[in-house]
Amino acid sequence: MKKLIIALAIAILPVMSFGQGAFDKFDNNDEVTSVVVTKKMFQMMGNVKNQESQEFLNLIKKLNNLRVFTTTNKAVTADMRNTANAYIKSAGLEELMRVNDKNQNVRIMVKSGATETRVKELLMFIEGANGKAQETVLLSLTGDFDLNEVSALTEKMNLPGGKELDKVKGPKK
Amino acid sequence: MRLAFILSVLLMASCAKEQTIQKYFVQKTEDPNFVAVDLSPSFLNVDPTALSAEGKKALDSFEKMNILALRLNDSNQVAYKKELASVKDILKNEQYQELMHFNGKGGGASVKFVGTDENIEEFIVFANNKDMGFAVVRVLGDNMTPTDIMNFMDVLKQSKMDVDQLKPIQDMMKGM
Repeated sequence: MKKLIIALAIAILPVMSFGQGAFDKFDNNDEVTSVVVTKKMFQMMGNVKNQESQEFLNLIKKLNNLRVFTTTNKAVTADMRNTANAYIKSAGLEELMRVNDKNQNVRIMVKSGATETRVKELLMFIEGANGKAQETVLLSLTGDFDLNEVSALTEKMNLPGGKELDKVKGPKK
Repeated sequence: MRLAFILSVLLMASCAKEQTIQKYFVQKTEDPNFVAVDLSPSFLNVDPTALSAEGKKALDSFEKMNILALRLNDSNQVAYKKELASVKDILKNEQYQELMHFNGKGGGASVKFVGTDENIEEFIVFANNKDMGFAVVRVLGDNMTPTDIMNFMDVLKQSKMDVDQLKPIQDMMKGM
C-alpha cells in the first residue's frame, strides 16, 4: 500500500509541476524581466468594491496565473522559443493566430475549454516587440475565461499584444 | 484547564522556532546598519472628517506601517548578502501568500500578505536593488480588506504627510 502511494506520488509529481514549471527557469534569469501575478491577487482584485467595470471584475475572478517574461538577449530568446514550442506540443495548445508585421512576429496559442471561445490557457510569444528595443515577450495566462473578455484585461494592465488580441475577438453572443 | 495550559505552551514553543518577518524586524530595528521607520496612522495627518465613508473605514483598518531597509555599500557586501538571503528565506514560508512578483536586471520586488481574502493581517512589500540595497515594508491591519487597501491608496494621496520622517528611506531609494 505504502509503495503504491509513493509510486503514485512520483507519477503525479511531474504532471502537477509541469505546466507551471516549464517557464520557471526564466523567472530568475538575470537577462529576463519577469512579472508574475498569482491567483490570489486576481481573487482579491475581484473582491475590491469600486468603480471598476463589471466586465473586468468578472474576468479576473476566473484567472489563475499571469506570467510575463521579457528579454532582449538573443540566447535567451532562442531558449524561450524552444521552450515555448516544446510546451505547445506537450500541453496541446492550438495556434490561434500568427501576425508578421514589419519586424514584429506575434504568435498566440490557446488551450480550448468547454466552448470555442472559452480557453484554459493563453500563450503569447512576441519577437521584435517595442520597435527598436527588439524585445522578446513570452506571456502565459491560465484560468478558465472567454477570449472575448481578455481584451478588457490587456487594456487595463497594459499588457503587450492587446492590439493583436482585439482582432481575434470571436462573434459576440 | 491544565491541558489548555500545556497546549498553549506547546503552541508558543512551536511558534518560537519559526522565524517570521515580524521577529526579523524586531531583531534588526536595533541594528545600526539598518534603517528602520515605524509609522502610525497619525503620521498621515489626514482629517478624518474630510474623508469619505470608505476612506474612513480604510484608515481605521490601518494599524501601522513598518519599514526596514539595508543599504548596500562597499564594506558590507558579505553581511548584505547574508541578510538578503535570510529575508528571502523567511518570505518563502507558506504563511506569506504571494500576490505578485517582479524580477529584472537591476533587482526585484514581491508583494505578499498574511491572512485571508477578507481579512488581511499583514501586507508585505519586499524590494531589492542590486546596487542600492533592499527594503521591506509591512502594513499591519485590523480587519483590513482588499477594498480597504485600494481606498487607503486614495487616502494617502490626500494626506499631508510629514515627509521628513521618510527622509532616510528616500535617500536610500534614490536611483533605485
